[in-house]
Amino acid sequence: MKRRGWIDSLFILPCAFAFIMVIIVPFALGIYYAMTDWNGVNPIVNWVGLSNFQGMFKEPQFIYSFLVTLMYTVINVVLVNVVGFALALLVTSKLRLRNVYRAGFFIPNLIGGIVLGYIWQFMFNNVQVDMGQALGIAFLEKSLISRQDTVIWAMSLVNTWQYAGYIMMIYVASIQAIPGSVMEAASVDGAGFFTRVRSILIPMMASAFTITLFLTLTNSFKQFDLNFTLTNGGPAMRFMAKPIRSSQLLAMDIYRTANQQNLMAQAQAKAVVFFVVLVIFSLAQVYLNKRKELEA
Amino acid sequence: MRKLFSLALAAVLALSLLALPASATEKVDFSVFQLKVEIDPMIQAFGKLYNEKHPDVNVTVETLGGGADYGGALKAKLAADQMPTIFMFEGQGGYELWKDYIADMSDADWVKDTDLAYYDPDGKVVGFPIAMEGFGLGYNAEILEKAGIDPATLTTFSATKAAFEKLDGMKAELGLDNVVSVGTSVAGGLWWVTSQHVFNAFYAGYEGYNDATVYNALRKGEVDQERLTAFATYLKMLYDYADANVLENGNYDAQVAAFASGKTAFITQGNWIDPNLAQLGATFPMGYISHNFLEKESTGLYMAAPSWFAVNKQATPEQQKAAIDFLNYMALSEDGANYMVTEAGMVPAFKSVKQQPAGPLSKALVEASARGGNFNWYFGQNPDGFNQGTLGPIFELLATGTVEDFVTDVTAAFEEIAVK
Repeated sequence: MKRRGWIDSLFILPCAFAFIMVIIVPFALGIYYAMTDWNGVNPIVNWVGLSNFQGMFKEPQFIYSFLVTLMYTVINVVLVNVVGFALALLVTSKLRLRNVYRAGFFIPNLIGGIVLGYIWQFMFNNVQVDMGQALGIAFLEKSLISRQDTVIWAMSLVNTWQYAGYIMMIYVASIQAIPGSVMEAASVDGAGFFTRVRSILIPMMASAFTITLFLTLTNSFKQFDLNFTLTNGGPAMRFMAKPIRSSQLLAMDIYRTANQQNLMAQAQAKAVVFFVVLVIFSLAQVYLNKRKELEA
Repeated sequence: MRKLFSLALAAVLALSLLALPASATEKVDFSVFQLKVEIDPMIQAFGKLYNEKHPDVNVTVETLGGGADYGGALKAKLAADQMPTIFMFEGQGGYELWKDYIADMSDADWVKDTDLAYYDPDGKVVGFPIAMEGFGLGYNAEILEKAGIDPATLTTFSATKAAFEKLDGMKAELGLDNVVSVGTSVAGGLWWVTSQHVFNAFYAGYEGYNDATVYNALRKGEVDQERLTAFATYLKMLYDYADANVLENGNYDAQVAAFASGKTAFITQGNWIDPNLAQLGATFPMGYISHNFLEKESTGLYMAAPSWFAVNKQATPEQQKAAIDFLNYMALSEDGANYMVTEAGMVPAFKSVKQQPAGPLSKALVEASARGGNFNWYFGQNPDGFNQGTLGPIFELLATGTVEDFVTDVTAAFEEIAVK
């Protein structure tokens, strides 16, 4: 019996080694660096305790990035799930070309975040502006990503375009797991389409909702590559009397602090805060969803 | 039999882990990482030529620039233990950041041939000047002629303003979309056009080439409000006469193409766009005027070595020697002069180079240099990341904001980094 245990751990070793080196060690080192004043290049590092953490909550850009990330997350989670769910219903109905639609809706998901950003930057900056000017619609004449009040919605639109197909697949799998007899029985009893969806479908899909809400929540909160290529922090605006970037989400703020301002240690401190907040949110979400699952 | 086979397979796999790369070649490998995207094909060709003529070394050239983040990529290379042997830095800000990786080149042959080398605070030579570059407000001579404006008269703010108003009124008959092509978008990667270059007119304009009074006062936190307001008014005028879409969202290609295709009469770019203009087929005569934000007369342009090559102090001695030989070859040989001037169209920083650049804007620069009365570059001395991170958004905000807010923001920004 002892020999078996020894062999098992040997098999696990490469994987465990990679996990420790790539995740655990950098994480621990990161917490250490967050309490120093390292600038990324200087070989000399001094301990400064918690001053990085205190400093970041006074920066207008960080506070704004935090708030705008929360706003973006809420908008995005709602949009992606509503659209994904609607598409899933469409694709599991008796529509004729539903299999073609299923593949079609999923295809945008295959485009990487960087290419996506550049394509849509072209769409907003050139196509939308030209269309707006040709049709004379004032709202469209200025690119949606150059206005601070619409830039977050534009980002969410692009993310929905890419991600809704993936979420749709998860919902489809869950819908197809529901025995058809239940739905038929309900319609025989006189339940309309929306009643069937609300009272039967959704409660029976509770486990799918746990997964999709978790995925969209963490995906939106951690958004970087789309942010970088589509808006690069986006139009400048004034917040708390200082000029800041209006579409700079948290991940990009951390990147900027590290790379442009060479404040590696402050960036690391922000990353620690980022991690803690995300863990709290996702744990809360999964806990609440699991409770709903059990009830259903 | 099977046991033997699997044992043999395991042995082979294990041995492959121990296999070392082919015994160290005689060649010394070194790398160059540079940020001038407009000369990428030329420097790649020069690298290849150098490898052919020097079989004992192998140089690899990599380029990253235009709108991309060179500084970030260089830091990433350092973190990945792939620090290049030769890399670029753009002034005191860059030097302060990288000084632990910058070698002393005071004994290199090329040092005696130039006045534009970069000296560290101890007086040692640490930077190889890439070229001499410069800018002003570029103009399309054909369009100005058609509009009846003589560029030689555009030497004060009111003269420039009047010219802009005249051109704006004649847009239809001249085939212009806008009077001037300006880009300042953070997203499009053009923050450096305004917050570094055009703003340099504020640091250096109207003073002697080596007179740094305004800039030195600025770094102590004293911001001349009158001068800044005049500059901001001038910059706002440039913005107002530019295409809003290119200004706020455009990238490098969009800004240069608007000028090259004759859709604008002016452009806020330097002589480095000559290769791009040639590629886009722009054959009209062109030149530069000063950034006239005061009523005083000015014809000078803003020129200096834009960046310097540094040799990595932490590379092996063989690599460092190979790198210095490479730089000597670039500065002093016929091939090097050919690459720098004829191929890449740069204005040479080395006195022994006889060739003259062919590009029209570079020629204008050489003329201005001979004429004198030009201005130095100071933005490279700002702390690393300041121009892009702090000034960039302020300059972008001016497009939709007010001159007063701009003046407040810039003053606050310099007060924050003041060195008492």
